[in-house]
Amino acid sequence: MQREKPSWTRRFLAVVRYEMLRNIRKKMFIGVLLSAFAFATINFALPSIVETAENPYFAVSFSAGSLMFILFAVVTSMHSFSGEYEKGTAVSLLTKPVSRTMVFLGKLTAISIVILAAYAVLYTYTTIGGMLVYGPQTNLHLVPLALIGDVVGTLIWVSIILAAGAISKNSMLTVMMSFGLFVALSLGGGLVAAFSEDIAAVNYLPGGGTSGTMDIAVGQNITIQNVTVNTYSSVATGTNSIGMNMIKYVMYPEAHVNFYHIDYLSMTSLNMTTPERELLYSEPLLLITLRSVGVAFVYIVAFLFVAWYAFKRWQITG
Amino acid sequence: MFKLSKIKKTNGLKEERLAVELAIETNGLTKKYGSLTAVDKLNLKVEQNTIHGFLGPNGAGKSTTIKMLVGLLKASEGTAKIFGQEVNIDQADARVGIGYMSELPRFPEYLKGAELLDIYGRMYGMSQEELKEQIPQLIDLVGLKGRENDRIGKYSKGMQQRIGIAQALLNNPDLVILDEPSVGLDPVGMVEVRELVKIISKEGMTVLISSHLLFEVEQICSHVTIINKGKSLFSDKLENVSKVISGPASMQIEVLNINDDLIRALKRLTYVEDVTQADNTLNITLTTRDDVSAQISKTITMSGGTIVRMNQKGNRLEDMFIQLVNNLQGGKN
Repeated sequence: MQREKPSWTRRFLAVVRYEMLRNIRKKMFIGVLLSAFAFATINFALPSIVETAENPYFAVSFSAGSLMFILFAVVTSMHSFSGEYEKGTAVSLLTKPVSRTMVFLGKLTAISIVILAAYAVLYTYTTIGGMLVYGPQTNLHLVPLALIGDVVGTLIWVSIILAAGAISKNSMLTVMMSFGLFVALSLGGGLVAAFSEDIAAVNYLPGGGTSGTMDIAVGQNITIQNVTVNTYSSVATGTNSIGMNMIKYVMYPEAHVNFYHIDYLSMTSLNMTTPERELLYSEPLLLITLRSVGVAFVYIVAFLFVAWYAFKRWQITG
Repeated sequence: MFKLSKIKKTNGLKEERLAVELAIETNGLTKKYGSLTAVDKLNLKVEQNTIHGFLGPNGAGKSTTIKMLVGLLKASEGTAKIFGQEVNIDQADARVGIGYMSELPRFPEYLKGAELLDIYGRMYGMSQEELKEQIPQLIDLVGLKGRENDRIGKYSKGMQQRIGIAQALLNNPDLVILDEPSVGLDPVGMVEVRELVKIISKEGMTVLISSHLLFEVEQICSHVTIINKGKSLFSDKLENVSKVISGPASMQIEVLNINDDLIRALKRLTYVEDVTQADNTLNITLTTRDDVSAQISKTITMSGGTIVRMNQKGNRLEDMFIQLVNNLQGGKN
């Protein structure tokens, strides 16, 4: 009213810069990034990652999957809100002419940019490294799909961590809660897939989901315990696999995925050497991919809303 | 060392703002935490271009009040206005003209000093040119030249306090709110802060300074508000402090060569009610709360006495503060 209202964009970009500097100067972030590079480098020595020259699986398979997602989410987000409160820096930040919504959006934007940039550098490294080790590859234009999918998969954990941090205002508690949830979902999803016939339920949880097999022969056949498995035809339905499923859909748009109940308990029988498999249902790959994107979107929006609402209500007493 | 000549004349005041009489106005401002009322229907009024001291014992509600003014806490009841514009945690734009430093401020350790000011400046909407001109001046002003490119994590508490003052002045604010600015500073730094506050006030900024150091407030403030248990006990010009104190004012003077003529000369003064002697000390009961130390010392000297020490009680902020707080605690107020 009395002074000219400053530009929204200029203030927003200041918040983005504030948060980005926090991330890229954090020792933990640098440590996780270097670990990811080390993991990717080690993967070049494992010939199993290259199955066929025409799929870009090698470029993205270096990742430790969901573990990488949560590690990047934790190091970029664990201090974003709770750290500001614990260290007392929220006092100076929130008394500037920036609204809490602007601070929230600025921090989220910065985290997303940092994760996207980190993954982009990693995927560039693995793509170039893979070609140097294994020779020319095709379909590399599909690698960005995996990049986008993995960023979305990571953002689920980012939103969970931001919500936990904004509510608890305690970084250690936030990390413990997030890892606890991660472990519970990882173990829980696996157990449901192994022992329950209602395996579709895990499709609606963040994480690995359940696994099926495409009904078309692709990739390389390997034999484990007298059972021949086509490695690339395996499809995981969870939010961790959005990127890979998008690539597979572009390459095999007509593919359907068969889901089986595998009776692991039957293996204990003396006269059985392989588990019994029973076909439960079949779904188009497109549906699986779209559903995991939708599930991811719902979780991201829901947890971000919780985080924003809790942050808006913060009372800085200390 | 603060470079006090470097402060730039504020250009933030606009005609509209000058038309508003009060820099800060709260009406029935209340903050409750469950059954505890930290601030209780506070009506704080701070006039423009004044240095307003905000006094109170620990836990009186000073910081809570300030936090409601700068958007950190939501008021349970009542309203707060700054230059006529309502302020609360959702009114970010209302903070454009406010500079604030909290008690023992903390800043992100991963940022460099100059970087912090640059980012905060952009949050105020300052242009590149303004930042380029203002940041080196402020760094110089608060005595951090040569350390501006160090990470704040490497700063001492005193240096963090200095960068805190710099960021509070960054946007040439119309209102500067300083919460216990001397805490964490060495004695030299405390004096420098007081001088700095006087200068920024002369440049047109209104200053609200919360402090538990009575002499600090007495030295620099033109107005004072005293609160205790969330309630305002006194709010007026500092010069009016003596008018509200009950009981007689008195002076204690240690004098060499006390003689009867000296005591008689003192008793003849119209504003002296009584003079008693205890060893080398004269206890003089006064009928006025004005500063009469000059006339009394002249009378003593002319009567052959030599003053060793002189202390006037009853018209100082400290006396009033203790009296008001004691009265409230005793249920008399």
